[in-house]
Amino acid sequence: MALRDVKPTRSELIGLKRRIALSERGYKILKMKRDGLILEFFKVLADAKDSRGELLQKYQRAVESMALANTVEGAIGVKSAAFSVKEVPQITLTSKNIMGVVVPKIESSKVRKSLVDRGYGILGTTSIIDETATSFEELVEAIIESAEIETTMKRLLSEIESTKRRVNALEFKVIPELSEARDFIKMRLDEMEREELFRLKKIKARMKA
Amino acid sequence: MAEVRAGPAPYIYVCTRMRVRKSKLLPKEEYLRMLNMSLPEITRSIEELEYKREIDELSASFHGIDLLEIALSWNLAKEYQAIIAITPGTLKAFTQAYLRRWDIQNILTILRGKRQGLKIGKIKEVLIPAGELDRVFLDRLLIEDSPDRIVEALKGKNLYPVVAKEFPLAVQSNSLSHMENELYKDFYRNLINDANVMKGGDLFLKYISLDIDITNIRNLFRLRVDTVQEDAREMMIPGGTFSVEELHRLNGITDQNEFIDALMEKVRVKTLLAVLDKLRGEKPIREIEIDLIKVQIEQMEKMAKLNPFSIHPILVYLEKKKYEVFNLRAIARGKESKLSTDRIKGYLVM
Repeated sequence: MALRDVKPTRSELIGLKRRIALSERGYKILKMKRDGLILEFFKVLADAKDSRGELLQKYQRAVESMALANTVEGAIGVKSAAFSVKEVPQITLTSKNIMGVVVPKIESSKVRKSLVDRGYGILGTTSIIDETATSFEELVEAIIESAEIETTMKRLLSEIESTKRRVNALEFKVIPELSEARDFIKMRLDEMEREELFRLKKIKARMKA
Repeated sequence: MAEVRAGPAPYIYVCTRMRVRKSKLLPKEEYLRMLNMSLPEITRSIEELEYKREIDELSASFHGIDLLEIALSWNLAKEYQAIIAITPGTLKAFTQAYLRRWDIQNILTILRGKRQGLKIGKIKEVLIPAGELDRVFLDRLLIEDSPDRIVEALKGKNLYPVVAKEFPLAVQSNSLSHMENELYKDFYRNLINDANVMKGGDLFLKYISLDIDITNIRNLFRLRVDTVQEDAREMMIPGGTFSVEELHRLNGITDQNEFIDALMEKVRVKTLLAVLDKLRGEKPIREIEIDLIKVQIEQMEKMAKLNPFSIHPILVYLEKKKYEVFNLRAIARGKESKLSTDRIKGYLVM
């Protein structure tokens, strides 16, 4: 706010004081929100680290199982068994609120299947297909879990960033500018008061003379 | 070449041919040598074997490891067809019946592929026409518009009654697993029927019984690994040493030692008893399967020695040829996936 645009009036001063009080209150609340979000973020970060590690481990296991299945059954056997998969996992997406941040909550079903539900018969396949199917089911579960945690983390991070920007804007721009404008109005009002007093004294002196 | 048509001569002839062919299969040392080679060296070695013709034939359509795998499968299919062509009389009928398991695999692959909406070429790559249904017939099935028309096209074939009965149910339940199990059960049922009515069937029956036992025992171990308790009756093949009810009861035993003791009570094959005894500790399911396959082949070899001019030498060769192809594929695929030599070795049937 440029000082030249400020009208040095009493009502403007009252308005500015109100705005400063509001900004300071907002600043405190946002600062508390930012700190809270950072705490939440670190909690989620620990989960994210674990889930990422687990995901990597399960991915490596799944890749290894696939390599073994290709070795034992050949790509022909693996493809033939893979053709039997008809049902895709169901994913339900809901949301939850962490300190005003809406984060996804992902629930999955039909990821883990029993031998019978996988679509291939037990009599025409070998255990390596079961092992590969199990390791990929575990991988899909880990991906779903990881997706929830990492999206939460990203949303929290972006909210922390925007809150931080607001806090900084209030701390270093809005409140100082408002304070400066308030001080300017105060100074101008004082000056105007002094001028008025001086003018009155002058009039009084002229009337006496 | 003069053809031998009368008396036991054709049987002696074909069994001798099988023994000769078996002796030409790769020995254990050759696999061990291949395990120490790089993938290009393995490919060259395989090309120098009898698989060269198939590799040359398919090299225009495929390349790399896929070419190798498909060429191996084609060679297996051709070899099986060649054996059907030279086997006489009841041996031919038994061999054809035995090879029908490949038809089940091919039909299931076509039906699954069609239901998934896959392109014809993609499904065709995965077919191994080693059974009664030849490549021309399978190609005809592939160009059918819908799975229902494929089922109709099977009319007159051995698989038709089960497929026609089970396919609508499979569509309803959205899973072909029950139909697959029923097809294999029907396959064994037909084998037993053929063995009962044909001359010399008693020897074939011995092999079928062994195959059923090994498959059932293998699947019992497999079910034990699965966390969800299944009804084993659906997945067990009747006609072996154990009845389906007995197998279901065995599946209910949670303690490993108790389970193995119960199995050993009825098993009479010494090598199988020895392998079962070793399975008391924790052992990966795949190793158990390999052990059981080895027992089956060993037992079949014994049968073939006891009955040198029966179906047994043919079955031994068919099985050993299959495992030669599987072993070569395993070595090539394992090397491609950069698996350790010991790891690949563990998956070979030598």
